Amino acid sequence: MPGFSSGGVGGGVGGVASAPPRPFRPSRYVPVSAATTFLVGATTLFFCFTCPWLSEHFSSVIPIYNAVIFLFTLANFCMATFMDPGIFPRAEEDEDKEDDFRAPLYKTVEIKGIQVRMKWCSTCRFYRPPRCSHCSVCDNCVEDFDHHCPWVNNCIGRRNYRYFFLFLLSLTTHIMNVFGFGLVYVLHHQQELDTPGAAVTMGVMCVAGLFFVPVAGLTGFHIVLVARGRTTNEQVTGKFRGGVNPFTNGCLRNITHVLCSSQAPRYIGRWRGRQMVEVQPPFLRPALTEAQLEAKVLDNGIQNDRHSTRSKSSLDQMESQSADAEAPPPPKPELRYPGLPRADTEESSLLTEAPPTPSMYKYRPTFNSPGRNHTALTHPNKMIRGESLDSPSPSILQSSRQPSYRSEPSSLDGTTVVGGGVGVRRGGGERGEGPGGPGGTAGGVLGGMSGYSLTGRSYTSYPSSLVLSTGGSHSSSLRSAHTAHNPLATLHSEGTTDTSYKSLANQTPRNGSLSYDSLLTPSESPEFESTEVVSPSTPLQGYTSPFLSAQIAQQREGQLLQGSATFSSPHKAYLRAVSPPLPSSAGPLETHHLLQHNQDFSSRPPRNPSSSSSSPGARLLEPPVSPPPRGLSLGKSLSTSRPVLANHTTSKPGGGVKKVTGVGGTTYEISV
Amino acid sequence: MAETHSLQDMRQQAAITAKVFIQRDYSSGTMCQFQTKFPSELENRIDKQQFEETVRALNNMYAEAEKLGSQSYIEGCLACLTAYTVFLCMETHYEKVLKKIAKYIQEQNDKIYAPRGLLLTDPIERGLRVVSYNFVSIQTEQIEHFSVLFFLIRAHSR
Repeated sequence: MPGFSSGGVGGGVGGVASAPPRPFRPSRYVPVSAATTFLVGATTLFFCFTCPWLSEHFSSVIPIYNAVIFLFTLANFCMATFMDPGIFPRAEEDEDKEDDFRAPLYKTVEIKGIQVRMKWCSTCRFYRPPRCSHCSVCDNCVEDFDHHCPWVNNCIGRRNYRYFFLFLLSLTTHIMNVFGFGLVYVLHHQQELDTPGAAVTMGVMCVAGLFFVPVAGLTGFHIVLVARGRTTNEQVTGKFRGGVNPFTNGCLRNITHVLCSSQAPRYIGRWRGRQMVEVQPPFLRPALTEAQLEAKVLDNGIQNDRHSTRSKSSLDQMESQSADAEAPPPPKPELRYPGLPRADTEESSLLTEAPPTPSMYKYRPTFNSPGRNHTALTHPNKMIRGESLDSPSPSILQSSRQPSYRSEPSSLDGTTVVGGGVGVRRGGGERGEGPGGPGGTAGGVLGGMSGYSLTGRSYTSYPSSLVLSTGGSHSSSLRSAHTAHNPLATLHSEGTTDTSYKSLANQTPRNGSLSYDSLLTPSESPEFESTEVVSPSTPLQGYTSPFLSAQIAQQREGQLLQGSATFSSPHKAYLRAVSPPLPSSAGPLETHHLLQHNQDFSSRPPRNPSSSSSSPGARLLEPPVSPPPRGLSLGKSLSTSRPVLANHTTSKPGGGVKKVTGVGGTTYEISV
Repeated sequence: MAETHSLQDMRQQAAITAKVFIQRDYSSGTMCQFQTKFPSELENRIDKQQFEETVRALNNMYAEAEKLGSQSYIEGCLACLTAYTVFLCMETHYEKVLKKIAKYIQEQNDKIYAPRGLLLTDPIERGLRVVSYNFVSIQTEQIEHFSVLFFLIRAHSR
C-alpha cells in the first residue's frame, strides 16, 4: 500500500510518469498496522458484544448509526492511506539545465503582495512551488504539503488532506460513540461486570479512552488550521507567525476549499498520450536573435546525473520539512561532468599547437582565439542561412544524383565536432554558452540535412531543419555549406557520405541510449555490427543532447592528443586533416584535403585503413544506428568506405598498427 | 562478391531541438495560472497575441477546474455518501476539465503551432508547474542495413 500511495512504479512503463521506487522499510508499517488493528479490532468487538444488547434495549438505529460512522471512518482512513497526496514528478533534465548549474537556492515570488520564497529541490530538480515541500520519508515533493503521517504511512498533501481531515473528524466521533455506548452498556451491567460482554466492553472503552485524547487534540488542531488556511508545516515552522498568510481567503472560503473543492488531479502515474502532431515543413524561418539563443534546451542524455542527484537525498534530509535549513546548493558543474576538466586542458594544448582544424574549439570562447569564435557566434544567422540555403542546394542537388557515391565522410565530422564542442563548453560550466548547445545540435542537424540533400532526396526537409538551428554555431556550419561549394561537389563526386550528419541527426531523437563506457572504448566495435537498423524513435521523443557526443568528442580529443604525441609528423598531419573541418573558410580546404587523404590511404593497403573517418566515430556515437559509413559505398567507390570497415574488422590492430580515436570521433589505425 | 545490397529506408523523425518553458504565475495564490509574459525565444515564431490568447485560455480552463461551484460540492457530497466508491465509476470535475484542456492543446497544436514548428505540451505532464513550447524539426534520415556491405568490404580489403 505505501507503494501505491507514493506511486512507486519503476517509471517509464508505457509512458507513465511516476516517482522513483524506494527501498522497503518494514519499520514504517508498524504505526499504520497498529492503528488499523486497534481501529478495526476494537470496533469489531464493540459490534459483537455491545451492540446486540443496545439494539435490543434501545433501538436498532444505534448499531446502524455506529456502523455508518465506522464505515465513513474506514473509508477516509483508506483514502488518506492510499491516495497520492499530490506528488510532483521529477523534473526532466531538459527543464532544469539552466537552473541546476547556476541556480540560486531560493527564488522569490510575490503572492498577493507578499514575498514567498521558493526553494530549489535538489532531488526533484525544480523550484518547489509555494506550499510544496519535500518529504524525506517518501522522498518526494508534495503539493500543499501538510505533514507525513506515520499512522497512515503517507504524506498528507493537497489531494488527500480532505480525507485526512474527515478521517480525524469521523474517528473522533467514532471514538466518542464507542466510549459513550460502551459506558451506557457498562452502567446497565454494573452487577454483571464479570460477564464477557461487559469485560470486553470495558476493554474497548479503555482503548477508546486512550486514543481519544491525542486524536481529539489533533482534530482540534486541524480545525484551527483549516479555518486559518494553513498547513501543519507552515504552522509548525512558524512561517506566518506575526505575519500575514497569503494563502488564506477567509475562514469560510478556506473551509469550503478544503471540503468542497473538486478532487485535485494526480501528477504521477498518469498515462501520457503521445502527442501526435503533423509537423509540416516548411516552417517559418525566423531570424534568430541573440536573445533566442538563450532558450533552454536539451538534455545531456547522461543517466548518471539523475542517480547522483538522487543519492543526495541524504543531503535533502538535512532540509527537514519543518525548517528552511541551509540546504546544499544545486550541484556544481564539476560533479556533472567529471570527465571534462581533464579533456579541457588537453584541448587547449592541442589548440596552441595545431592550426584551426578541430572545429569544436571555436565554440568554446575560453579556449579559442577570440576572433574565430566571435565570428562563429555573432554572425547573423538569418543571412547565412539564407545564403547557404539558396546557393549550395541547387548545385548539391544536381550533383547528388548518384546515391552510390558515398565515401568516408570525415569532412562531415564537422557536425559531430560541433556537437562535441558545444558539449565541452557546457561541461566546463560555461553558462554563457547556451547558444552553443542548441547551435551545436542544430548544426549537426543541419549538417545532416545538407548531407541528405546530397542524395537529392530529402530536399524538402532541408529548409525545415534549418529553421530550428538556434545557435550561432550553426551559422558556421551553414557557412561551410555555403562556402564549401567546391569541396562539397568534390566530396560528392567521390561519393560523399552523409553518414556522420545522419548519425548526428539520428542522435538527436535518441535519449540516453549510449553509455560512457561504450563510447569510450572504440574497440567495442562488434556491437555496431549487430545494430543495424535505427529504431525509429517515436516522434517527439526525448532528444539526446549534443553534450554526450561532446563528451565523447572530448575523450577522443584526449586520445587524439595521446596519439599525436606518439606518432610521427606525417601521421600527425594526417590526424589533423582527418579531424572534422572547421565551418570556416578553412573548412572546405580541410575537407578536400581530407578526401584526398582518404583516397591516399585507401590505395595503400599495407598501411591499414587509417582513415575510418567518421564512421566508427559516428558509430560510437550511436550504437543503435547502423554504422553509417559502411553502407554508403554502394558498389562504386568502395575505396573510401572500405577503410572504414577494414578498420572495423581489425579492431585489434596487428603489430605495428595503432588504433587511435581522434577529434570528432574519427578512429583510424595508423601503422607505426 | 561485388554484390551491393543496400536497403535504404527513408524515415522522418521529428526531433525536439529546443524548449521554452512558461512558468506558473503565483501572484494570486496557489491557483493554477501561467504567466502570460511573452518569452523572447518565441518572438519570431508566433504572435504575442496568439501566445497570450493561448495562455489565457488555459488559465481560464484551470480556473474553471478549481472553481468551488455547485458541481464540485455535489460531487463531494456524493463521494462521502458512497464511501468514495463513486470515484471508481465517475470522473471528477477536474479530470473532465483536464480532458478538455488536453483537447484544446491538441487543437492549438494542430492549427497554429505545428505549422510553425512548435509544439505545446500539456502542463499536467510536469505537475502543472510549467507549460513548454517545444521547437520541433523534421529530419529525414536514411537508415541502411549494413550487414551485407560489411562482408563485402571486408572481403574486398583482403
